[in-house]
Amino acid sequence: MSCVSVRFYLAVFTGRVLQSLLRLIGKSAGGTWPGEIALILCPNFISCLNPKSFRLIVVAGTNGKTTSGKMIQTILSKNSFTVRLNETGANLMNGLVSVFLSHPLVLERPIVYVFEVDEASLPHALSAVSPDVLVLLNLFRDQLDRYGEIRSVVALWKKSIEILSPKTTVIANADDPSIAYIAGFHSGTVQYFGLEDPLLFHNKKEHAADSLYCPKCFRRLTYQGLYYSHLGIWTCGNCGNTHPDISLRARDVKSPLDGNYNIYNTLAATGASGVFGISSEQCSKALLEFSPAFGRMESIVYKNRKITILLSKNPTGFNQSLRVALEHAPSTMLFVLNDRIPDGTDVSWIYDVDFEQISEYKSLRCVVSGDLVFDMALRLQYAGVPLKNIFSYEILKDAIEQLVNQENEGAHVWILATYSAMLETRKILTGKKI
Amino acid sequence: MNYKLTIGWLYPELMSTYGDRGNIIVLKQRLFLRGIGANILEIDQTTTEKELLKVDIVMGGGSQDREQEIVIVDLLKKKETLRSLFSDGTPGLFVCGSPQLLGHSYMTGDGAKIQGLGIFDMETVHPGAGKPRCIGNLVAEISDDMRYAICGMRNTIVGFENHGGRTILGSGVKPFAQVIVGSGNNGTDKTEGAVFQKCIATYSHGPFLPKNPHIADWLIFQALTQKYHQNIELAPLDDTLAWKAHEAMLYRLGIKTGSPPEFTPHLDAGRG
Repeated sequence: MSCVSVRFYLAVFTGRVLQSLLRLIGKSAGGTWPGEIALILCPNFISCLNPKSFRLIVVAGTNGKTTSGKMIQTILSKNSFTVRLNETGANLMNGLVSVFLSHPLVLERPIVYVFEVDEASLPHALSAVSPDVLVLLNLFRDQLDRYGEIRSVVALWKKSIEILSPKTTVIANADDPSIAYIAGFHSGTVQYFGLEDPLLFHNKKEHAADSLYCPKCFRRLTYQGLYYSHLGIWTCGNCGNTHPDISLRARDVKSPLDGNYNIYNTLAATGASGVFGISSEQCSKALLEFSPAFGRMESIVYKNRKITILLSKNPTGFNQSLRVALEHAPSTMLFVLNDRIPDGTDVSWIYDVDFEQISEYKSLRCVVSGDLVFDMALRLQYAGVPLKNIFSYEILKDAIEQLVNQENEGAHVWILATYSAMLETRKILTGKKI
Repeated sequence: MNYKLTIGWLYPELMSTYGDRGNIIVLKQRLFLRGIGANILEIDQTTTEKELLKVDIVMGGGSQDREQEIVIVDLLKKKETLRSLFSDGTPGLFVCGSPQLLGHSYMTGDGAKIQGLGIFDMETVHPGAGKPRCIGNLVAEISDDMRYAICGMRNTIVGFENHGGRTILGSGVKPFAQVIVGSGNNGTDKTEGAVFQKCIATYSHGPFLPKNPHIADWLIFQALTQKYHQNIELAPLDDTLAWKAHEAMLYRLGIKTGSPPEFTPHLDAGRG
């Protein structure tokens, strides 16, 4: 037995003992630190594993990671794969190791580990392990105080893709010029997806559309049509950079959730599942019973009203949430704006959201809450919402009661909330933490 | 009399990084509610000198380093026109990175020194990409000179700053405000922003005017005075929410102030 494998088995043993102990004291999943300890004992843990024992799918992008990841999990599980999603706070290494501490080392079928990473962590994650599948969803302007400017993210991602193993299959959104550009640097297989449906064009340019410039030569792109933000059928008249051919399109899938953005998530999940030999039809069938991830178009019945929560954490996400909610012509909506670390401490972006579209709904009542309740209310005032239709509540629970009281039993109401605000809202509606 | 103002918005495509259009939305709405016409001129490479001279308020936002370089090349061609506008008393508001363009020079994150317009007597250096940026809520007390100009109004401003550059003021400009919480121009001398004639520069980025309606009205008042050569009283607007948002930030940061001004509608006042 080599020295490496002694360390490996010692790490497995210690990690498993720790996991069991943590379970005994009531920490349900044991967290990721048994994995962390195992990695200290055996830094090469992953390379010591039988490569046939796991498959790794990494999902990256600004919006839609959690929903796409959950769709992949649903599809693969229905097709008898064992699937694990990353836990909160896990990084790729300790998360993957933790999965193996709670499963046998020898398996009949590989465990599929689906890992979502944010913009800033992708290069680090890819330098640790090469995934079997890498899903690249989109790049929108998000928290400037955390992730920096889009252009620097594009440059970092491009570098990581250039050195990515050719064995990785990349599933990339062709409608996003930055994503298509980055995926083009992969030396292995790339499968592109896109909507390819002119009926879905929404040619009113959103203010938040910030990548209308070519990622290659920085000249203005020409669009045959825009779906939302900077996603569409694009081409660069200057350098010839153009929308790549796609192998998966909107008509090939059936999205279980409203909104064009969920068609993209469905396409991404279908593309990733295809690598495992699962057909588009099988994917659509598996997704019939899809239940959304918490706070992502999740509906909760509260006091006999159906309440749908839409996590809305950046201008593009917020614009999409507004579009979906307004299509249902609601009479009351709740907006919750927080500025804690998970939300981003800078909420300037609310002025990049096209709230002006709300003012067309003359009788829509807007209930407002959150840490920055008055900033949110003020944004609505400046968007042209009459003051008599704006109801501000500093305490979230009061806002939710107001929302419910404004509506009859059986009504469908909508809540748009930033990340920590969404968690708080859920806690009130369900009485549970997560 | 029908008043009308032209708001010149500097390079909205290149300089609207993070909610900067909030300032334009505020001016437009406040003019609209008072029955004053508002025309937005998007200033870019195609804007002529003649068009530029018709601008009554100049507005500048933030941009990424690369966009800022494209902007300054074109702005330098418009330098004398802008200088004459500002010297004549045309008001302006420059937030986020745009003040850097107005000074003698500024530095990018990688240390390159770039020539500015030299209209404001100030200079911006960059301590290097490894040094911490100045990020966070920013509250400051408006400097005395300014306060007389916007007499009777609240003396605090509330914003959010996020900048790597550090700006040092020369004797040709006055600080806009004194920092209470935050970094301001350079994190050391407590100055925040600068004022030259009727132009305000501030490191507050993005939507600065929504929570600072007094500054919005000061800009409008200056523009009307400059254009119509008379003092025009502005009808008060319902700023209850704006002041609540302003107050809430002061309260959160532990800054004590008097009670917010009560809103008293004067429906007929100030239509000129």
